[in-house]
Amino acid sequence: MSDLEEAKLATQVAQGNEKAFLTLYDRYSSRVHALTLHILHDPMMAEEATQDTFLKLWNRAHSYLPERGSLLPWLLTIARRVALDRLRLEARRPLLSDADDPDEAWQSIPDRNTLSEEHRWRSLYFAVQSLSSEHRQVIDLAYYQGLSQTEIAETLGWPLGTVKTRLRAAMQQLRREWSR
Amino acid sequence: MPLKKHTPFIENIPAYALGSLDVEDAFALENHLKTCASCRSELAAYRAISAGLLTAIPPKSPPASLRRQLQIKLPSARRLFRVPVQWSFAQPALVIMALGVLLFFNVVSILQLRSLQQQQAQLSHKLQSEQTALALLSYPGVKVIPIETNGITGTLLLDGDRNALALFAWNLPQLPDNQTYQVWLIDSQAERVSLGVFRPEPSLPFTSFSIISSENLSNFVGLGVTVEPSGGSSHPTGTRLLIVNF
Repeated sequence: MSDLEEAKLATQVAQGNEKAFLTLYDRYSSRVHALTLHILHDPMMAEEATQDTFLKLWNRAHSYLPERGSLLPWLLTIARRVALDRLRLEARRPLLSDADDPDEAWQSIPDRNTLSEEHRWRSLYFAVQSLSSEHRQVIDLAYYQGLSQTEIAETLGWPLGTVKTRLRAAMQQLRREWSR
Repeated sequence: MPLKKHTPFIENIPAYALGSLDVEDAFALENHLKTCASCRSELAAYRAISAGLLTAIPPKSPPASLRRQLQIKLPSARRLFRVPVQWSFAQPALVIMALGVLLFFNVVSILQLRSLQQQQAQLSHKLQSEQTALALLSYPGVKVIPIETNGITGTLLLDGDRNALALFAWNLPQLPDNQTYQVWLIDSQAERVSLGVFRPEPSLPFTSFSIISSENLSNFVGLGVTVEPSGGSSHPTGTRLLIVNF
């Protein structure tokens, strides 16, 4: 699906077109669900988070700005926030900023010009797999569990400095692997 | 910026891109980013990584039932979205406020209309009075009595046949709002009969008062003017301003 088709469908969704919505659902639900399941580790909660994510798309499709980026990263950013907030509710931790507002998603999406094609993103999967278990662990806790560096240090019983060093090293390695 | 000061910020950028930087450090970095183009560039590169991490998970389809559940929820979800709870509470208050504003402007408009009607009636009465005075001036047999007393000068026109009179007075002092001039007919027993009240015209150097009386003017020997409370009195109570003998 081209960016143009995607933008057209998003506009139709904003106008209340259910068919356009279901087309986008069929296209992206597996990506959204994979992410919510990866974060929540619970099929029921993941389904609810996936559903909430698509309801946000249905209700706030007008917030999607094609000129700022493709639909998928926008949708996945929303899905991550929805899932992390469910985790935080469970753990009675403060929620992320405003997960109800899809406009917030743009803040963590890089400028369109710096984005690579989706196939390059897929290569990150292999880059993540190539990380040492310790590096993969800090990336997972930081990004997919939404923990701060201090919370990671408490969770793993590591000194804060170690967490910072390993997180930075892991990200630098991903950057190197990705730019190859 | 010296490298030594720059280093702690640049080291925090990867964690910031992951949303994992502690609040104080994030706040400091955000301030630094406002003025540092190279750090903004670094952040863009790391944000591309974090955005990529969203898709770095093998796809997994949700159960088919989820699609059906969503499809059922769509119309009601849109309705709920379009009528937020806050708005539903605020709406009656806004309507009441709008009605209040409309009512206020209506009351103001009615008061303005009444004020204009009063002004129109006063002008109409004044015009009629002046026309009467002019008619008296031009009518043959009208008695013209000059007035000069207490620094006030003027003329009294008296038409005994038609029981009409017109008083022109110059230099009448202006009165406070709670007072008025009252005109009296005086008979041979020094009894007074009120002819009416008037106030000096602020924009004119003279004041006129004219009337066609129901009384027979030949029964009276003179005319007096006193200062009375606003609205007039049943008998003279205030300062006598002038007396004119017929």
